[in-house]
Amino acid sequence: MRLTALAGLALAVTLAALLVGGTMLPPEAILRALVRPRGDVATIVWQLRLPRLCIGLVVGASLAIAGALLQGMLRNPLVDPYLTGVSAGAAVAIVIAMSAGIAIGAVPALGFGAGIATALLVAALARRGTGLDATRLILAGVSLSSLFAAVIALVLTRLQSTEAAPAIVGWLAGSLAGRGWSDLGFSVPYAAAGTAIALFSVPALNALRLGDVRAQAAGVNVDRAQWLILAAASLLTACAVTLSGTIGFVGLIVPHVARRVVGSDARLLILASALLGGALTVAADAVARTVIAPAEIPIGVLLAFIGVPAFLYLYLHGRTMAV
Amino acid sequence: MIAAHELRLFAGSRLLFGELDFAIRGGEFVAILGPNGVGKTTLLRTLAGAHHPTGGSVTVDGQSLTELPHADRARLIAYVASDDLFVNYLSVRSIVATGRYAHHRWWQWHEDATDGAAIDRALADVRMEDFASRSFDTLSSGERQRVWLALALTQEAPLLLLDEPTSHLDVHVAQDVLALLRAQTLQRGKTIVCVLHDVNEAAQFADRILLLADRRILAFAEPEVILAPPFLEAAYGVAMDRLRTPAGDLRVLPSV
Repeated sequence: MRLTALAGLALAVTLAALLVGGTMLPPEAILRALVRPRGDVATIVWQLRLPRLCIGLVVGASLAIAGALLQGMLRNPLVDPYLTGVSAGAAVAIVIAMSAGIAIGAVPALGFGAGIATALLVAALARRGTGLDATRLILAGVSLSSLFAAVIALVLTRLQSTEAAPAIVGWLAGSLAGRGWSDLGFSVPYAAAGTAIALFSVPALNALRLGDVRAQAAGVNVDRAQWLILAAASLLTACAVTLSGTIGFVGLIVPHVARRVVGSDARLLILASALLGGALTVAADAVARTVIAPAEIPIGVLLAFIGVPAFLYLYLHGRTMAV
Repeated sequence: MIAAHELRLFAGSRLLFGELDFAIRGGEFVAILGPNGVGKTTLLRTLAGAHHPTGGSVTVDGQSLTELPHADRARLIAYVASDDLFVNYLSVRSIVATGRYAHHRWWQWHEDATDGAAIDRALADVRMEDFASRSFDTLSSGERQRVWLALALTQEAPLLLLDEPTSHLDVHVAQDVLALLRAQTLQRGKTIVCVLHDVNEAAQFADRILLLADRRILAFAEPEVILAPPFLEAAYGVAMDRLRTPAGDLRVLPSV
């Protein structure tokens, strides 16, 4: 029921976002172009707005699912998808590549590979016996991310004068601008794989709400479940980061809001997080590309400006949220 | 039902037991007693498959425990740990429903009629039917312990392992929990192995007591034997006074 309402919200937001943009177009022309893809309006709709909408949905849903997975697995409400090290690793690789002048076309694959490699490193550091140690995972994720942030700062200070700097800063702030169907085509298989693993892990995730010991007693292979959940979160985060750069707060905040709407049952929470994450990202992007058009606000900045106060309000006014 | 063969257990680098051998019969209520630090919890975790022995093996109905997949093991053994995990804001029913995990196929997300019946029966057995929709954080300690018990019963495993199910409970609640367990052996044919602190609780409810001390089994026998000199003195190192209840059962008190 509530899930249906969320699906309705996501659909409404997507439609509304389709209708607004840097060039104001009459709604009926846009809808006509959807059905009959011919002419200038159709080019804007099919080559600019639709891919951007789809990317927004995929990025938002991926980050939100990854956040819900990790928060549930670690039973820690402060965890976000960047804990996997994926975004820090991708950012370092991409910043170095851009400053070295490597072709822009190679950037997504490079970022994706570096992100997954960093996630593997974090996982290796967090390994204990056959399973994962929650505290070690958090420590490894946080410290590697800080290290990589330092590397990025170093590269940027050495680079101030060259023309690559604006592109790098733009990427780091997160943006859905200038991406097309081919970027989506590269990332979607990984997001789909991550989502499939996430859905497979749903019953284990529910049992893990009772703690590792009781989940194990109920028959969950806790070690295996943790590896699968971490793999799913890493794939989803890598997909999002490759598509949009570092967009913060979606992966942290959306699972909290979703938990308020549908509760902590993973069967509902994963789907609700995906819908809300997609809707929020698409809505934020619509605002980001219209308010100061033809210029754009980086969506990561916008989400932080709106998202953080809203989140603090939610968190402080209302009952404490269960993870 | 469940048996230990030449079990060798360590806590870190400290040897707990060099070689333990015992067998527990189906339908029995066995209490594990012994001084703090002797390794009661580690032994119970080993029987539950949550701790891997350094040497020896545990068999359940002749099958080696380490060779059983997690879900198969959970359908044979329900283990109630003693950790005081606080699962706020989860409803009693959603906690208890977790016990059905091992009965589901990997694609099954939702409870079927069999699950519902198992959950209802478990809640009824611990008299928590009226608490199904209550949030865990609103429950008393005794009610919480009964929820953990219901979670274990929902697994429908023939063997129940419990680590200190009566710790932190007032005497009437502790009696109630142990009576519920006793009823599980009598009415549902369950086998129960239970780590306890209170010698008299063990004597009152258990068929046999496994008394551990000095890295070995000091005695594994009926309460009348265990409570008679010299076993408790040897295990705990304190002198004991003995008295008889009006019903003629033996009880002990540390001597002043």
